[in-house]
Amino acid sequence: MSELINKVSQFFSSGIIDLFIGYKKGRLGEGKPAFFTKPEQLNELIFDENCIVNLAVYLRKPELKKYSKIGVLANFGTLRALLQLAAENQIADGQYLILTVADGKVLEFANLKAIEEYVANNLPKPNPERIAFLKEIESKSREERWEFWTRELASCIRCYACRAACPLCYCEQCLVECNQPQWVGVPPTGMGNLEWHIVRAMHLAGRCIGCGECEAACPMEIPIGFLTQKLNMAIISNFGQVPGTKLEPDYALSTFKVDDKENFIR
Amino acid sequence: MEYKLIKLEKIQDFINALIASGKQVLAPKQKKEKVFFSLVGSFDEIAMDYIQTAFSAKSAVFPKCEELYTFEKNGKDTILHNPPAPENDTIVFGMRPCDGAAFDYLTTFFLKENPDYHFKMRYDKTIFVGLTCSSGDEFCFCTSVGISPSDTRGSDLMLTKTENGYYMEIITEKGKKLVEQFSNFFEQTEQIDKTKYTANIQKRFDSSALKEKISGAFNWERWEETSLPCFGCGTCAFSCPTCTCFDIQDEANLVGGARYRIWDTCALGIFTKHASGHNPREKQSERWRNRILHKFLYTDEQFVTLSCVGCGRCIRNCPAELSIIEQVNAIMEG
Repeated sequence: MSELINKVSQFFSSGIIDLFIGYKKGRLGEGKPAFFTKPEQLNELIFDENCIVNLAVYLRKPELKKYSKIGVLANFGTLRALLQLAAENQIADGQYLILTVADGKVLEFANLKAIEEYVANNLPKPNPERIAFLKEIESKSREERWEFWTRELASCIRCYACRAACPLCYCEQCLVECNQPQWVGVPPTGMGNLEWHIVRAMHLAGRCIGCGECEAACPMEIPIGFLTQKLNMAIISNFGQVPGTKLEPDYALSTFKVDDKENFIR
Repeated sequence: MEYKLIKLEKIQDFINALIASGKQVLAPKQKKEKVFFSLVGSFDEIAMDYIQTAFSAKSAVFPKCEELYTFEKNGKDTILHNPPAPENDTIVFGMRPCDGAAFDYLTTFFLKENPDYHFKMRYDKTIFVGLTCSSGDEFCFCTSVGISPSDTRGSDLMLTKTENGYYMEIITEKGKKLVEQFSNFFEQTEQIDKTKYTANIQKRFDSSALKEKISGAFNWERWEETSLPCFGCGTCAFSCPTCTCFDIQDEANLVGGARYRIWDTCALGIFTKHASGHNPREKQSERWRNRILHKFLYTDEQFVTLSCVGCGRCIRNCPAELSIIEQVNAIMEG
């Protein structure tokens, strides 16, 4: 940890950064997000596999505009979110100083291209427990799946913590806040909850980088991450597109080719 | 006050008898990692060993979504229907003393001036059975806001687990009636000193010193810095036993529909956004400030009571682990 602290401390003293977003010790051994503005605060800085919050979620905060250069300590989910945000023109190359720690060594990424390479070489295998759970849901009949999701989603309170925790939910105005026309029912009733979660999943289909923050933030313990995970698996197998791995836009649901065989595209 | 004892082996029969009599029993129930107040079908479903439910007992009388009225078109007229009052009593079983104390605030807010029809209709049919805390965790701070972990405020009956069974204090007439109805489950007993069975909850700050400090805190320069980890999920308010903000929404078709009251939160940007597009609380730090000042200053000015009961839910549930205790102490430091 001292290498990391020394490095970040140097970035502060040489004026390269004036804010560093990392982690400090939180409850039950977890790391919690921490914002450092002075090198003397860095003795609290930690990084390990229990630092799970996706820090890319903070980059859209207007409070950060006053800092001239921000450093981010990125876990794997954060790196993928940064790539996806770059592909969607939400962040620019060189805008942030990005660090991670791998095999006990501090890695500083020279540019987003370097993150792209790192992510390509380190993509983890899907969590077998989650795949087993998805298989279990898939093995149910249509009626049983409907019953499962309506029951799970009935407890949704529509706090939108899933949206707030998602680094890819950056719309200035969410569709659910639009009331002329009101596309999605706002009261947390059965139908409105289904509509909201279908809309959320569809808007992340092929964009979700699978960090799991939506599910972790859900105060009602609803397994909502499986909705986007399932959609992503379909997109990967049909189109070969893996979100959060490429700097170029590669988004199954909003790309087209001019030589498409279908007439309507021309 | 009257005192009773329920033998350990009788508590199960008592709860099952309540359910069999047609009463709705809302009790702590495990769901994955957390415990939620849920309607239970038998005593076996109840989690008896828990520090705090993830959400408060307020949902018994102020649910996340309730019908205010339904409406239907009848020629040129519109006919309104009030929702029916609940037929049966609801028993909130195992409510922690902090949640009980929260009802002091909730009843002031909803019932004091212009009593709220919907809140009252539920409150009148609800019996609160409190349970003394025998343990707490690092997020509990009821004693810092003037509440004790064996406080009887807001409870109709108060249980304390002892080696002989559950010692019960009969606090209100409502509670007394319930005990009379189910008298065969209880034994007569003397008043006991509950201290031995009560958790020792450390004081985390001095609320009277805070009171002096916080009145001038609106322009405190550290609001932004201390709230940076907040990404505005609103879970703090939704799980808070005293947060009362709501939104009104209609769901309708061409022939009729319903008007709903649903939970809302000052953590969301849309909460204060004007139709013009202007938002007086543009940044999350301004929303966070509102939440803290509302708890420790605004309700004190308006109703002469703090609206934080020290349950610690906002800390336990926060995905970024922001702590209201740390926040208050930062304000005290200046």
